[in-house]
Amino acid sequence: MAKIIVVTSGKGGVGKTTTSASFASGLALRGHKTVVIDFDVGLRNLDLIMGCERRVVYDLINVVNKEASLNQALIKDKHCDNLYILPASQTRDKDALTEEGVEGVLKELADMGYEYIVCDSPAGIEKGALMALHFADEAIVVTNPEVSSVRDSDRILGILASKSRRAMENREPVREHLLITRYSPARVDKGEMLSVDDVKEILRIPLIGVIPESQAVLQASNAGSPAIHLKGSDVAEAYSDVVARFLGEERPMRFVEAPKVGLLKRLFGG
Amino acid sequence: MTISAPAPAFDIKSASLDLLALVLRSTDPAQLEPALQSRFSHLSANGQSEAFVLGLEALPSLEGVDLGSLLPLMGRHGIKVVALRHPDPAQAALASRYGLGFTTGGGRSSGPIQETAAATPVAPAQEPATSLIIDRPVRAGQQIYAKGGDLVILAVVSAGAEVIADGNIHVYGPLRGRALAGARGNTSARIFTQAMEAELVSVAGVYRTIEQALPDSIRHKPTQIYLENERLVMKALHE
Repeated sequence: MAKIIVVTSGKGGVGKTTTSASFASGLALRGHKTVVIDFDVGLRNLDLIMGCERRVVYDLINVVNKEASLNQALIKDKHCDNLYILPASQTRDKDALTEEGVEGVLKELADMGYEYIVCDSPAGIEKGALMALHFADEAIVVTNPEVSSVRDSDRILGILASKSRRAMENREPVREHLLITRYSPARVDKGEMLSVDDVKEILRIPLIGVIPESQAVLQASNAGSPAIHLKGSDVAEAYSDVVARFLGEERPMRFVEAPKVGLLKRLFGG
Repeated sequence: MTISAPAPAFDIKSASLDLLALVLRSTDPAQLEPALQSRFSHLSANGQSEAFVLGLEALPSLEGVDLGSLLPLMGRHGIKVVALRHPDPAQAALASRYGLGFTTGGGRSSGPIQETAAATPVAPAQEPATSLIIDRPVRAGQQIYAKGGDLVILAVVSAGAEVIADGNIHVYGPLRGRALAGARGNTSARIFTQAMEAELVSVAGVYRTIEQALPDSIRHKPTQIYLENERLVMKALHE
Protein backbone atom coordinates (compact mmCIF):
# COMPACT_ATOMS: atom_id res chain seq x y z
CA MET A 1 0.00 0.00 0.00
CA ALA A 2 1.23 3.47 -0.82
CA LYS A 3 2.56 5.53 2.04
CA ILE A 4 1.76 9.25 1.96
CA ILE A 5 4.43 11.50 3.48
CA VAL A 6 3.94 15.24 3.86
CA VAL A 7 6.95 17.55 4.08
CA THR A 8 5.74 20.53 6.03
CA SER A 9 6.93 23.31 8.36
CA GLY A 10 4.53 26.21 8.77
CA LYS A 11 7.23 28.75 8.06
CA GLY A 12 8.49 29.49 4.57
CA GLY A 13 12.05 29.29 3.34
CA VAL A 14 13.20 26.60 5.76
CA GLY A 15 13.90 23.96 3.11
CA LYS A 16 10.66 22.06 2.50
CA THR A 17 11.02 21.87 -1.25
CA THR A 18 14.75 21.10 -1.06
CA THR A 19 13.91 18.33 1.40
CA SER A 20 10.99 17.00 -0.68
CA ALA A 21 13.20 16.81 -3.76
CA SER A 22 16.14 15.11 -2.03
CA PHE A 23 14.00 12.82 0.11
CA ALA A 24 11.90 11.63 -2.83
CA SER A 25 15.07 11.17 -4.91
CA GLY A 26 16.66 9.21 -2.07
CA LEU A 27 13.69 6.84 -1.87
CA ALA A 28 13.81 6.35 -5.65
CA LEU A 29 17.59 5.75 -5.61
CA ARG A 30 16.94 2.89 -3.23
CA GLY A 31 14.60 1.32 -5.75
CA HIS A 32 11.24 2.47 -4.42
CA LYS A 33 8.68 3.71 -6.91
CA THR A 34 8.06 7.26 -5.73
CA VAL A 35 6.09 10.31 -6.78
CA VAL A 36 6.56 13.81 -5.39
CA ILE A 37 3.66 16.27 -5.60
CA ASP A 38 4.01 20.04 -5.43
CA PHE A 39 1.09 21.44 -3.41
CA ASP A 40 2.32 25.02 -3.65
CA VAL A 41 -0.28 26.00 -6.24
CA GLY A 42 0.47 29.45 -7.61
CA LEU A 43 4.11 29.49 -6.44
CA ARG A 44 5.40 26.29 -7.89
CA ASN A 45 9.08 25.63 -7.21
CA LEU A 46 9.56 21.91 -7.04
CA ASP A 47 9.87 21.58 -10.82
CA LEU A 48 12.72 24.14 -10.77
CA ILE A 49 14.62 22.29 -8.07
CA MET A 50 14.07 19.00 -9.88
CA GLY A 51 15.15 20.63 -13.13
CA CYS A 52 12.02 19.76 -15.10
CA GLU A 53 10.33 23.14 -15.38
CA ARG A 54 10.46 23.10 -19.16
CA ARG A 55 8.69 19.79 -19.34
CA VAL A 56 5.59 20.88 -17.39
CA VAL A 57 2.54 20.69 -19.63
CA TYR A 58 -0.26 19.59 -17.32
CA ASP A 59 -0.30 19.97 -13.55
CA LEU A 60 -2.02 18.86 -10.33
CA ILE A 61 -4.98 21.22 -10.83
CA ASN A 62 -5.57 19.92 -14.36
CA VAL A 63 -5.71 16.41 -12.94
CA VAL A 64 -7.98 17.44 -10.04
CA ASN A 65 -10.32 19.13 -12.54
CA LYS A 66 -10.10 16.08 -14.84
CA GLU A 67 -8.73 18.20 -17.68
CA ALA A 68 -5.78 15.84 -18.02
CA SER A 69 -5.01 12.29 -16.97
CA LEU A 70 -2.40 11.52 -14.34
CA ASN A 71 -0.18 9.89 -16.93
CA GLN A 72 -0.19 13.09 -18.97
CA ALA A 73 0.74 15.22 -15.97
CA LEU A 74 3.40 13.03 -14.36
CA ILE A 75 6.95 13.94 -15.35
CA LYS A 76 9.69 11.33 -15.19
CA ASP A 77 12.72 12.52 -13.25
CA LYS A 78 15.92 12.86 -15.25
CA HIS A 79 18.17 11.42 -12.53
CA CYS A 80 16.27 8.41 -11.19
CA ASP A 81 14.18 5.81 -12.96
CA ASN A 82 11.69 5.29 -10.16
CA LEU A 83 10.80 8.91 -9.56
CA TYR A 84 7.97 10.96 -11.00
CA ILE A 85 7.00 14.56 -10.36
CA LEU A 86 3.48 15.97 -10.29
CA PRO A 87 3.94 19.74 -10.61
CA ALA A 88 1.72 22.47 -9.23
CA SER A 89 -0.07 25.02 -11.36
CA GLN A 90 1.55 28.41 -11.74
CA THR A 91 -1.55 30.22 -12.90
CA ARG A 92 -4.19 29.06 -10.43
CA ASP A 93 -4.49 29.57 -6.70
CA LYS A 94 -4.85 27.18 -3.82
CA ASP A 95 -8.64 27.38 -3.72
CA ALA A 96 -8.59 25.22 -6.86
CA LEU A 97 -7.66 22.27 -4.61
CA THR A 98 -10.56 20.28 -3.26
CA GLU A 99 -10.49 17.50 -0.71
CA GLU A 100 -12.31 15.06 -3.03
CA GLY A 101 -10.06 16.01 -5.93
CA VAL A 102 -6.84 15.49 -3.97
CA GLU A 103 -8.12 12.24 -2.50
CA GLY A 104 -8.93 11.01 -6.00
CA VAL A 105 -5.43 11.82 -7.26
CA LEU A 106 -3.74 10.13 -4.29
CA LYS A 107 -5.90 7.05 -4.68
CA GLU A 108 -5.14 6.79 -8.37
CA LEU A 109 -1.40 7.11 -7.68
CA ALA A 110 -1.66 4.33 -5.11
CA ASP A 111 -3.48 2.17 -7.66
CA MET A 112 -0.69 2.84 -10.15
CA GLY A 113 1.70 1.08 -7.78
CA TYR A 114 3.61 3.99 -6.26
CA GLU A 115 5.10 2.95 -2.92
CA TYR A 116 5.74 6.44 -1.60
CA ILE A 117 3.82 9.63 -2.30
CA VAL A 118 5.75 12.68 -1.07
CA CYS A 119 3.64 15.82 -0.67
CA ASP A 120 5.60 19.08 -0.73
CA SER A 121 3.50 21.45 1.38
CA PRO A 122 3.39 25.21 0.87
CA ALA A 123 4.21 27.47 3.81
CA GLY A 124 1.44 28.74 6.06
CA ILE A 125 -1.54 27.01 7.55
CA GLU A 126 -4.06 27.79 4.83
CA LYS A 127 -5.82 25.62 2.29
CA GLY A 128 -2.78 24.41 0.35
CA ALA A 129 -0.94 23.32 3.50
CA LEU A 130 -4.07 21.69 4.93
CA MET A 131 -4.66 19.77 1.69
CA ALA A 132 -1.03 18.60 1.62
CA LEU A 133 -1.17 17.19 5.15
CA HIS A 134 -4.76 16.01 5.22
CA PHE A 135 -4.17 12.50 3.87
CA ALA A 136 -0.68 11.98 5.31
CA ASP A 137 0.43 8.78 7.01
CA GLU A 138 3.75 10.29 8.07
CA ALA A 139 5.02 13.85 8.35
CA ILE A 140 8.51 15.27 8.05
CA VAL A 141 8.46 18.54 9.94
CA VAL A 142 11.27 20.75 8.60
CA THR A 143 12.61 23.21 11.14
CA ASN A 144 15.44 25.72 11.19
CA PRO A 145 17.22 26.13 14.52
CA GLU A 146 15.64 29.44 15.41
CA VAL A 147 12.65 30.28 17.59
CA SER A 148 10.08 31.46 15.02
CA SER A 149 10.62 28.42 12.83
CA VAL A 150 10.32 26.13 15.84
CA ARG A 151 7.13 27.87 16.96
CA ASP A 152 5.57 27.47 13.51
CA SER A 153 6.54 23.80 13.44
CA ASP A 154 4.82 23.39 16.79
CA ARG A 155 1.70 24.94 15.28
CA ILE A 156 1.82 22.57 12.31
CA LEU A 157 2.21 19.60 14.66
CA GLY A 158 -0.97 20.75 16.39
CA ILE A 159 -2.77 20.91 13.06
CA LEU A 160 -1.50 17.43 12.14
CA ALA A 161 -2.91 16.15 15.40
CA SER A 162 -6.31 17.73 14.85
CA LYS A 163 -7.02 18.27 11.15
CA SER A 164 -5.42 15.30 9.40
CA ARG A 165 -7.71 12.57 8.11
CA ARG A 166 -6.14 10.14 10.60
CA ALA A 167 -6.93 12.46 13.51
CA MET A 168 -10.46 13.14 12.34
CA GLU A 169 -11.20 9.44 11.95
CA ASN A 170 -9.60 8.70 15.29
CA ARG A 171 -7.12 6.32 13.69
CA GLU A 172 -3.49 5.91 14.69
CA PRO A 173 -2.02 9.43 14.59
CA VAL A 174 0.24 10.67 11.80
CA ARG A 175 3.83 9.56 12.50
CA GLU A 176 5.90 12.69 13.07
CA HIS A 177 9.59 13.13 12.22
CA LEU A 178 11.69 16.16 13.05
CA LEU A 179 14.19 17.30 10.42
CA ILE A 180 16.46 20.19 11.36
CA THR A 181 17.87 21.97 8.30
CA ARG A 182 20.43 24.76 7.80
CA TYR A 183 22.19 23.68 10.95
CA SER A 184 25.50 25.29 11.72
CA PRO A 185 27.28 23.70 14.71
CA ALA A 186 29.80 26.53 14.83
CA ARG A 187 27.05 29.11 15.27
CA VAL A 188 25.36 26.93 17.88
CA ASP A 189 28.63 26.90 19.84
CA LYS A 190 28.66 30.70 19.70
CA GLY A 191 25.09 30.77 21.01
CA GLU A 192 23.66 32.26 17.82
CA MET A 193 21.45 29.29 17.02
CA LEU A 194 19.32 26.82 18.93
CA SER A 195 21.00 23.46 19.38
CA VAL A 196 19.56 20.14 18.23
CA ASP A 197 18.75 19.35 21.84
CA ASP A 198 16.96 22.69 22.33
CA VAL A 199 14.73 22.03 19.32
CA LYS A 200 14.06 18.45 20.39
CA GLU A 201 13.19 19.61 23.90
CA ILE A 202 10.65 22.13 22.57
CA LEU A 203 8.98 19.96 19.91
CA ARG A 204 9.35 16.55 21.57
CA ILE A 205 9.10 14.40 18.47
CA PRO A 206 11.69 11.89 17.17
CA LEU A 207 14.58 13.38 15.21
CA ILE A 208 15.08 11.89 11.74
CA GLY A 209 18.07 13.97 10.73
CA VAL A 210 20.11 17.15 10.75
CA ILE A 211 21.04 18.82 7.45
CA PRO A 212 24.03 21.14 7.75
CA GLU A 213 23.95 24.69 6.39
CA SER A 214 25.77 24.56 3.08
CA GLN A 215 26.46 26.57 -0.05
CA ALA A 216 25.99 23.35 -1.99
CA VAL A 217 22.21 23.51 -1.50
CA LEU A 218 21.97 26.84 -3.29
CA GLN A 219 24.16 25.62 -6.14
CA ALA A 220 22.13 22.43 -6.47
CA SER A 221 18.85 24.37 -6.56
CA ASN A 222 20.11 26.73 -9.22
CA ALA A 223 21.38 23.82 -11.27
CA GLY A 224 18.01 22.06 -11.05
CA SER A 225 19.40 18.97 -9.38
CA PRO A 226 18.33 17.78 -5.90
CA ALA A 227 21.12 18.17 -3.33
CA ILE A 228 21.22 14.44 -2.61
CA HIS A 229 22.94 13.95 -6.00
CA LEU A 230 25.97 16.08 -4.98
CA LYS A 231 28.27 13.15 -4.40
CA GLY A 232 30.59 13.57 -1.47
CA SER A 233 28.94 16.70 -0.05
CA ASP A 234 27.84 16.70 3.58
CA VAL A 235 24.29 17.69 2.55
CA ALA A 236 23.96 14.68 0.24
CA GLU A 237 25.30 12.40 2.99
CA ALA A 238 22.89 13.89 5.51
CA TYR A 239 19.88 13.40 3.23
CA SER A 240 20.95 9.81 2.49
CA ASP A 241 21.02 9.21 6.24
CA VAL A 242 17.50 10.64 6.55
CA VAL A 243 16.17 8.29 3.87
CA ALA A 244 17.93 5.33 5.50
CA ARG A 245 16.47 6.17 8.90
CA PHE A 246 13.04 6.62 7.37
CA LEU A 247 13.32 3.11 5.92
CA GLY A 248 14.16 1.76 9.36
CA GLU A 249 17.96 1.66 9.37
CA GLU A 250 20.04 2.84 12.30
CA ARG A 251 22.49 5.60 11.41
CA PRO A 252 24.51 7.71 13.83
CA MET A 253 23.60 11.42 13.81
CA ARG A 254 26.29 13.28 11.81
CA PHE A 255 27.10 16.95 11.23
CA VAL A 256 25.92 18.02 14.68
CA GLU A 257 29.39 18.87 16.05
CA ALA A 258 31.54 21.75 14.84
CA PRO A 259 34.61 20.41 13.04
CA LYS A 260 37.66 20.49 15.30
CA VAL A 261 40.09 23.09 14.09
CA GLY A 262 43.64 21.85 14.38
CA LEU A 263 46.25 23.83 16.32
CA LEU A 264 48.32 24.67 13.24
CA LYS A 265 45.28 25.74 11.30
CA ARG A 266 44.20 27.90 14.20
CA LEU A 267 47.64 29.52 14.40
CA PHE A 268 48.19 30.07 10.72
CA GLY A 269 44.61 30.36 9.45
CA GLY A 270 42.80 27.95 7.18
CA MET B 1 -26.87 66.14 11.45
CA THR B 2 -26.27 62.77 12.90
CA ILE B 3 -27.91 59.70 11.57
CA SER B 4 -28.43 57.20 14.29
CA ALA B 5 -28.37 53.60 13.24
CA PRO B 6 -31.65 51.82 13.89
CA ALA B 7 -31.63 49.68 16.99
CA PRO B 8 -30.81 46.08 16.08
CA ALA B 9 -33.77 43.72 16.02
CA PHE B 10 -31.87 41.26 18.17
CA ASP B 11 -28.62 40.65 19.96
CA ILE B 12 -26.84 37.36 20.17
CA LYS B 13 -25.44 36.64 23.59
CA SER B 14 -23.84 33.55 24.97
CA ALA B 15 -26.08 31.71 27.40
CA SER B 16 -25.60 28.61 29.46
CA LEU B 17 -28.85 27.43 30.98
CA ASP B 18 -29.60 24.65 33.40
CA LEU B 19 -32.15 22.13 32.20
CA LEU B 20 -33.45 18.98 33.79
CA ALA B 21 -33.08 15.78 31.85
CA LEU B 22 -35.73 13.11 31.96
CA VAL B 23 -33.89 9.87 31.31
CA LEU B 24 -36.30 7.27 29.99
CA ARG B 25 -35.92 3.72 31.24
CA SER B 26 -39.08 2.48 29.58
CA THR B 27 -41.27 3.61 26.72
CA ASP B 28 -44.25 1.48 27.69
CA PRO B 29 -47.16 3.91 28.15
CA ALA B 30 -48.76 1.56 30.68
CA GLN B 31 -45.66 1.94 32.84
CA LEU B 32 -44.97 5.58 32.11
CA GLU B 33 -48.43 7.00 32.57
CA PRO B 34 -48.83 6.16 36.29
CA ALA B 35 -45.19 7.05 36.99
CA LEU B 36 -45.57 10.47 35.40
CA GLN B 37 -48.89 10.95 37.13
CA SER B 38 -47.45 10.36 40.57
CA ARG B 39 -44.28 12.39 40.01
CA PHE B 40 -45.60 15.39 38.08
CA SER B 41 -49.16 15.78 39.31
CA HIS B 42 -48.21 19.15 40.81
CA LEU B 43 -47.44 20.48 37.34
CA SER B 44 -50.33 19.10 35.36
CA ALA B 45 -52.87 19.95 38.06
CA ASN B 46 -51.99 23.64 37.84
CA GLY B 47 -51.80 23.68 34.07
CA GLN B 48 -48.07 24.48 34.27
CA SER B 49 -45.29 22.94 32.28
CA GLU B 50 -41.55 22.67 32.59
CA ALA B 51 -38.86 22.29 29.96
CA PHE B 52 -36.95 19.01 29.88
CA VAL B 53 -34.28 17.32 27.83
CA LEU B 54 -35.43 13.83 26.99
CA GLY B 55 -32.55 11.41 27.58
CA LEU B 56 -32.77 8.30 25.42
CA GLU B 57 -29.32 6.95 26.29
CA ALA B 58 -30.54 4.49 28.93
CA LEU B 59 -32.94 2.72 26.58
CA PRO B 60 -31.54 -0.58 25.29
CA SER B 61 -32.69 0.26 21.75
CA LEU B 62 -34.44 3.09 20.00
CA GLU B 63 -36.36 0.74 17.77
CA GLY B 64 -40.07 1.02 18.27
CA VAL B 65 -39.74 4.20 20.29
CA ASP B 66 -42.74 6.22 19.17
CA LEU B 67 -42.09 9.85 19.99
CA GLY B 68 -45.29 10.75 18.18
CA SER B 69 -47.27 9.31 21.07
CA LEU B 70 -44.70 9.76 23.84
CA LEU B 71 -44.38 13.53 23.47
CA PRO B 72 -48.13 14.26 23.82
CA LEU B 73 -48.26 11.86 26.76
CA MET B 74 -45.55 13.83 28.53
CA GLY B 75 -47.14 17.10 27.51
CA ARG B 76 -50.32 16.08 29.33
CA HIS B 77 -48.23 15.81 32.49
CA GLY B 78 -46.64 19.20 32.08
CA ILE B 79 -43.37 18.00 30.60
CA LYS B 80 -42.33 20.12 27.67
CA VAL B 81 -39.57 18.29 25.81
CA VAL B 82 -37.26 20.79 24.11
CA ALA B 83 -34.45 18.52 23.03
CA LEU B 84 -33.35 14.91 22.74
CA ARG B 85 -30.15 13.54 24.16
CA HIS B 86 -28.40 10.45 22.82
CA PRO B 87 -24.70 9.60 22.45
CA ASP B 88 -25.16 8.64 18.80
CA PRO B 89 -25.10 11.80 16.64
CA ALA B 90 -27.12 9.97 13.98
CA GLN B 91 -30.15 10.32 16.22
CA ALA B 92 -30.20 14.03 15.45
CA ALA B 93 -32.44 13.14 12.52
CA LEU B 94 -35.01 11.75 14.93
CA ALA B 95 -34.96 14.98 16.91
CA SER B 96 -35.34 17.18 13.86
CA ARG B 97 -38.32 15.11 12.70
CA TYR B 98 -40.15 16.30 15.79
CA GLY B 99 -38.74 19.81 15.70
CA LEU B 100 -36.59 19.23 18.79
CA GLY B 101 -33.06 20.25 19.62
CA PHE B 102 -30.43 17.54 19.90
CA THR B 103 -27.37 16.95 22.05
CA THR B 104 -24.98 14.04 22.42
CA GLY B 105 -23.52 14.86 25.81
CA GLY B 106 -24.05 16.77 28.96
CA GLY B 107 -24.59 13.83 31.20
CA ARG B 108 -22.88 10.79 32.48
CA SER B 109 -25.63 8.31 32.94
CA SER B 110 -25.41 5.35 30.67
CA GLY B 111 -26.72 1.86 30.86
CA PRO B 112 -23.74 -0.38 31.55
CA ILE B 113 -22.13 1.98 34.07
CA GLN B 114 -25.39 2.23 35.93
CA GLU B 115 -25.47 -1.48 36.57
CA THR B 116 -22.13 -1.67 38.32
CA ALA B 117 -23.05 1.37 40.34
CA ALA B 118 -26.29 -0.26 41.38
CA ALA B 119 -24.38 -3.17 42.87
CA THR B 120 -22.75 -0.95 45.47
CA PRO B 121 -25.04 0.34 48.17
CA VAL B 122 -23.81 3.91 47.78
CA ALA B 123 -26.59 6.37 47.08
CA PRO B 124 -26.30 7.86 43.59
CA ALA B 125 -24.75 11.11 44.70
CA GLN B 126 -24.62 14.25 42.59
CA GLU B 127 -23.00 14.13 39.16
CA PRO B 128 -19.32 13.33 39.46
CA ALA B 129 -17.08 16.23 38.51
CA THR B 130 -15.98 15.58 34.95
CA SER B 131 -12.27 15.85 34.23
CA LEU B 132 -10.83 16.12 30.80
CA ILE B 133 -7.67 14.10 30.25
CA ILE B 134 -5.39 14.94 27.33
CA ASP B 135 -2.53 12.57 26.59
CA ARG B 136 -1.00 14.32 23.58
CA PRO B 137 0.99 17.56 23.46
CA VAL B 138 -1.02 20.77 23.34
CA ARG B 139 0.70 22.70 20.54
CA ALA B 140 0.97 26.39 19.66
CA GLY B 141 -2.38 27.73 18.50
CA GLN B 142 -4.42 25.00 20.16
CA GLN B 143 -6.87 25.71 22.92
CA ILE B 144 -8.32 23.16 25.30
CA TYR B 145 -11.19 23.97 27.62
CA ALA B 146 -12.37 21.63 30.35
CA LYS B 147 -15.90 22.81 31.02
CA GLY B 148 -17.17 22.31 34.51
CA GLY B 149 -14.19 20.34 35.79
CA ASP B 150 -10.48 19.71 35.94
CA LEU B 151 -8.06 19.51 33.05
CA VAL B 152 -5.30 16.93 33.20
CA ILE B 153 -2.58 17.04 30.56
CA LEU B 154 -0.04 14.24 30.34
CA ALA B 155 2.29 15.97 27.88
CA VAL B 156 3.84 19.33 27.12
CA VAL B 157 1.79 22.53 26.79
CA SER B 158 3.76 24.43 24.14
CA ALA B 159 4.38 28.14 24.07
CA GLY B 160 1.46 29.73 22.24
CA ALA B 161 -1.01 27.10 23.43
CA GLU B 162 -3.83 27.83 25.87
CA VAL B 163 -5.31 25.47 28.44
CA ILE B 164 -8.42 26.50 30.34
CA ALA B 165 -10.51 24.77 33.00
CA ASP B 166 -13.40 25.66 35.24
CA GLY B 167 -11.59 23.60 37.89
CA ASN B 168 -7.90 22.83 38.43
CA ILE B 169 -5.27 22.35 35.76
CA HIS B 170 -2.65 19.62 36.09
CA VAL B 171 0.20 19.50 33.58
CA TYR B 172 2.43 16.44 33.87
CA GLY B 173 4.99 17.94 31.54
CA PRO B 174 6.41 21.40 30.99
CA LEU B 175 3.85 24.22 31.01
CA ARG B 176 5.12 26.73 28.44
CA GLY B 177 1.89 28.29 27.19
CA ARG B 178 -0.99 29.94 29.01
CA ALA B 179 -2.98 28.27 31.76
CA LEU B 180 -6.26 29.66 33.09
CA ALA B 181 -7.84 27.78 35.99
CA GLY B 182 -11.17 28.59 37.62
CA ALA B 183 -12.36 30.14 34.38
CA ARG B 184 -15.86 30.65 35.73
CA GLY B 185 -14.74 32.29 38.91
CA ASN B 186 -13.70 29.41 41.15
CA THR B 187 -11.14 31.17 43.33
CA SER B 188 -9.96 27.94 44.96
CA ALA B 189 -8.86 26.44 41.65
CA ARG B 190 -5.14 25.75 41.26
CA ILE B 191 -2.62 25.09 38.53
CA PHE B 192 -0.01 22.37 38.92
CA THR B 193 2.88 21.65 36.59
CA GLN B 194 5.99 19.49 36.46
CA ALA B 195 8.09 22.27 34.97
CA MET B 196 7.05 25.90 35.31
CA GLU B 197 7.85 27.83 32.11
CA ALA B 198 4.44 29.44 31.50
CA GLU B 199 3.80 32.64 29.53
CA LEU B 200 0.69 33.52 31.49
CA VAL B 201 -1.15 32.03 34.44
CA SER B 202 -4.58 32.95 35.73
CA VAL B 203 -6.85 31.79 38.51
CA ALA B 204 -10.46 33.02 38.53
CA GLY B 205 -9.57 35.94 36.31
CA VAL B 206 -6.57 37.12 38.34
CA TYR B 207 -3.75 36.79 35.85
CA ARG B 208 -0.06 37.37 35.57
CA THR B 209 2.12 37.48 32.49
CA ILE B 210 5.57 36.11 33.02
CA GLU B 211 8.10 38.20 31.19
CA GLN B 212 10.99 38.28 33.58
CA ALA B 213 12.85 35.14 34.45
CA LEU B 214 11.18 33.28 37.28
CA PRO B 215 13.05 32.71 40.55
CA ASP B 216 15.30 29.65 40.50
CA SER B 217 13.11 27.91 43.07
CA ILE B 218 10.31 27.41 40.54
CA ARG B 219 11.81 27.96 37.08
CA HIS B 220 11.68 24.64 35.17
CA LYS B 221 10.59 23.02 38.44
CA PRO B 222 7.39 21.45 39.78
CA THR B 223 5.18 24.35 40.79
CA GLN B 224 1.69 25.14 41.96
CA ILE B 225 -0.18 28.38 41.41
CA TYR B 226 -3.11 29.48 43.53
CA LEU B 227 -4.93 32.54 44.85
CA GLU B 228 -4.26 33.87 48.31
CA ASN B 229 -6.00 37.10 49.33
CA GLU B 230 -6.72 37.83 45.69
CA ARG B 231 -3.05 37.60 44.79
CA LEU B 232 -1.52 34.90 42.66
CA VAL B 233 1.03 32.79 44.50
CA MET B 234 3.53 30.63 42.61
CA LYS B 235 5.17 28.15 44.87
CA ALA B 236 7.46 25.18 44.38
CA LEU B 237 5.87 21.81 45.00
CA HIS B 238 7.52 19.42 47.48
CA GLU B 239 8.83 22.24 49.62
